[in-house]
Amino acid sequence: MKKSHIIGIVLIAIAIGAIFASLGDASTYASFSTAQNHEGKEFHVVGKLDKSKDMIYQPEKDPNIFVFYMKDSDSTERKVTLHQAKPQDFEHTEQIVAIGKCVGNDFHASSVLMKCPSKYVDTKQQKI
Amino acid sequence: MESANIQYLGEHLWAGQLGNCLVILSFVAALLASLSYFSAANCEVNSEGEISWRKIARLSFLVHAFSVFGMVGTLFIMLSQHYFEYEYIWHHSSKEMPMRYLASCFWEGQEGSFLLWTFWNAVLGLILMKGSKEWESPVLAIVSLVQVFLCSMLLGIFVLDYKIGSNPFTILLREYPDFKHLPFVQNANYLSKLDGKGLNPLLQNYWMVIHPPTLFLGFASTVVPFAFAIAGLWKKKYTEWQRPALPWTFFGIMVLGTGVLMGGAWAYEALSFGGFWAWDPVENASLVPWLAYVGAGHVMMIHKNKGQSLFATFFLSLIAFILVLYATFLTRSGILGDSSVHAFTDLGMSGQLLVYLFFFIIISIVLLAVNFRKLPKQAQEESIWSREFWMLIGALVLLISAFQISLTTSIPVINKIFGTHLAAPVEGKAFNHYHQWQIPFAILVLILIACSQFLKYKKTDPKEFKKNIFIPLGIALILAIAISFYYGWFSEGKTVFYAALLFACLFAIFANITYFFKILKGKFDHAGASIAHIGFGMILLGAMISTSRSEKISVNQKGDVEIYGKEYSNKENILLQQNDTAKMGDYFITYKGKRKVGVDVFYDVEYLKKDANGRFSETFILSPRIQLNQRMGNVPEPDTKHFFTKDIYTHITLADLENMGEQPPQITSGEYKEPHNNNISVGDTFFTNNGIVVLQKLNTAVDKEKLGIPKAQIAVGAMLKIFNVYGKIFDAMPVYYITDSVPNTIESKVDELGLKFSFWQVNPSTGKVDISVSEKASGKKDFIVMKAIIFPYINILWMGCIIMIIGTTLAIRHRLKRNN
Repeated sequence: MKKSHIIGIVLIAIAIGAIFASLGDASTYASFSTAQNHEGKEFHVVGKLDKSKDMIYQPEKDPNIFVFYMKDSDSTERKVTLHQAKPQDFEHTEQIVAIGKCVGNDFHASSVLMKCPSKYVDTKQQKI
Repeated sequence: MESANIQYLGEHLWAGQLGNCLVILSFVAALLASLSYFSAANCEVNSEGEISWRKIARLSFLVHAFSVFGMVGTLFIMLSQHYFEYEYIWHHSSKEMPMRYLASCFWEGQEGSFLLWTFWNAVLGLILMKGSKEWESPVLAIVSLVQVFLCSMLLGIFVLDYKIGSNPFTILLREYPDFKHLPFVQNANYLSKLDGKGLNPLLQNYWMVIHPPTLFLGFASTVVPFAFAIAGLWKKKYTEWQRPALPWTFFGIMVLGTGVLMGGAWAYEALSFGGFWAWDPVENASLVPWLAYVGAGHVMMIHKNKGQSLFATFFLSLIAFILVLYATFLTRSGILGDSSVHAFTDLGMSGQLLVYLFFFIIISIVLLAVNFRKLPKQAQEESIWSREFWMLIGALVLLISAFQISLTTSIPVINKIFGTHLAAPVEGKAFNHYHQWQIPFAILVLILIACSQFLKYKKTDPKEFKKNIFIPLGIALILAIAISFYYGWFSEGKTVFYAALLFACLFAIFANITYFFKILKGKFDHAGASIAHIGFGMILLGAMISTSRSEKISVNQKGDVEIYGKEYSNKENILLQQNDTAKMGDYFITYKGKRKVGVDVFYDVEYLKKDANGRFSETFILSPRIQLNQRMGNVPEPDTKHFFTKDIYTHITLADLENMGEQPPQITSGEYKEPHNNNISVGDTFFTNNGIVVLQKLNTAVDKEKLGIPKAQIAVGAMLKIFNVYGKIFDAMPVYYITDSVPNTIESKVDELGLKFSFWQVNPSTGKVDISVSEKASGKKDFIVMKAIIFPYINILWMGCIIMIIGTTLAIRHRLKRNN
């Protein structure tokens, strides 16, 4: 066998490994109910902030705990505990992706991604 | 609403018409240039046919290039003159914005950045036209064809209901779908009151003035090796195309690499990532073409010296350009959606971008397939003791590394194609995911960089190689082991990788230093490659140390959340109340207060460091800020103290923006502290933590009935006025009274300030009174939640960048000298 063949085989093996590992490392988008059915497994849940309920952030007690209520795309609502500081401008967010897992009825997020309508697209009409 | 017969005042419609004419002209001229260069290339070199076709082609390309320059000029004039009647100008700039960021407005939008890309291609095309000699016709045919596609992105015309491109010159604000039904459209004088929406505050940064043009020059430059490779396949000059393409390739590697790192510098300074690299899809999209590009440059070196790896030179040169197109598709089609912080929004051009991408992929595949059997084959296998063998391996490792990064970055594309719901790893998980692959690749590449300099092309004497490599290998091993022990990297499986990477970085650096002095005898003329490789080694060394040893010193000890798993033990944020001091790492930090300067609110955080004797050895103030932007959202920007050996990075996670100067913070909870007595006369003042108290007068005519002390013999009220730090005035009146010879007091509270006053004594002889005040211990004072990270030795990274640029410049200069 030529050296180039051996190198080729090794490269293809690494590439296939990379494919499987990448897909294996990826989490999945899901709803709260799916996350609850697979307690302890990590999911990305897309939803909206329930602005009618209070957000709880008491930095003097623990600046790294922030609690809010979120409705997912099936309108299931869950209490979400974010184990980080409250993100700036969180109340203005339009869409949230909470990343974490269900523990009992609650969802514990290690991070959230926010989509602020104001960040790149301005939907507010300018008063003239 | 009909607005056709309104005569609008103050509009500058000439600018848009001029710009639009130039767009159309540049598109048509590029098409003509492409067709006539194509015809010229199909004639025999220097035949009459070629010369006359080339004449037309050159003229067309000149017209094209100058219309592109004209477009750039027109758009700049429109931005600088605030022609807000144009949607693009309104959208991306405003009057209050500092003029130095004008350039950032130019390329904030898709249209402007396409224009920037087109501009660089036009510049490159003009240089190629002048200097490519016999290659001019086929190469410029390809470059012009690329320009046809790029210009079509700016056309903004409808063909059978399908919009082709988006034209910044033709879209008027009052005709824009979101606005055309608003009442202002009816106002003929609407422009007089109009201000633009403004530039995204994150982009108001000097890096954003130089990062995009550098990056886009790098992107644009990939068209040169691509066009030469296509021309080589087309004209069946399978090897000759590389000589002119090689210096361009290294020029592009340098510029694109610099552009990518400048993006990192911007992220480090302006974004709240907490670092210079976050494996964000947009960052990845610019890194991946660079990796392929570096591979292309290196296999071209192999081929030049040894005549081998011909197929790889074609493949990598073509794929580098195609990856740039793919990156464009990823970042501009909107497909990344919420997986990236800074992808462009969709302008409905994804279809067009896909056509563009597949057009060039198909051309490349077809030409490679047709010519595959005709490519000269290498006669014998490379020796294992040859430089070219290991260089090829290195290029392949880069390709695999690029493949792995693109694969994870493409998860949204995979979801689209296969209907899956995969989510790419984010934040900490993204680091783990990419690092587990990229660290081994980096180790391999660095070791190859170290060794292959000492290998000669064709055949090396193993004895000589071992003799040369011994010293740098020894130094790197000893240093790496010592440092890794010091950092404790041998104790854990994961950190052993750090030790290996550290060794590989040091090995690459010392091997190239040794090569420079021992083999090249310190001659700079030939040392370009060695110096560039030293720089590359330093970049990775700085990156690995500053990332792996970065220390979040803002540790919060409250609350144990690790019961839910390690990823939840996020304790990196700390709460600081105004004037409270907290210990953080080696530092005592105090939040001193906030200042509002223009649109920025600066939060002054004082850092103090005590030395062994308890004296403060180091004090400095960092002022991270939050930019207030009602239209764009408030954006925090970090502040960093740079030391030679480390950076201290401080970033506001959350601050109270409700009480911006006018309103004092509300005090709702907390216990009163020990009272503090003040012996004063009328007209005197005393201080509390949040205000100044003035004793205005003593009131002897108080209403005893109302106060509930009808039997009091004496009752005196102290009329106090309290001015808080915001200039707001409060009143208080504690009362001193005597019933049955027993002195007593009625307290008076100012809840808003958390103050409680009592009046204990009157000294008739001196006229002085005793008034005591107690303050609430820890009411809700103004606070910030912040994060502080130490990045050690990050300067090695930035120094490495500069050294790599110097090295590559030397190498290109040397190559150009030889070519002539």
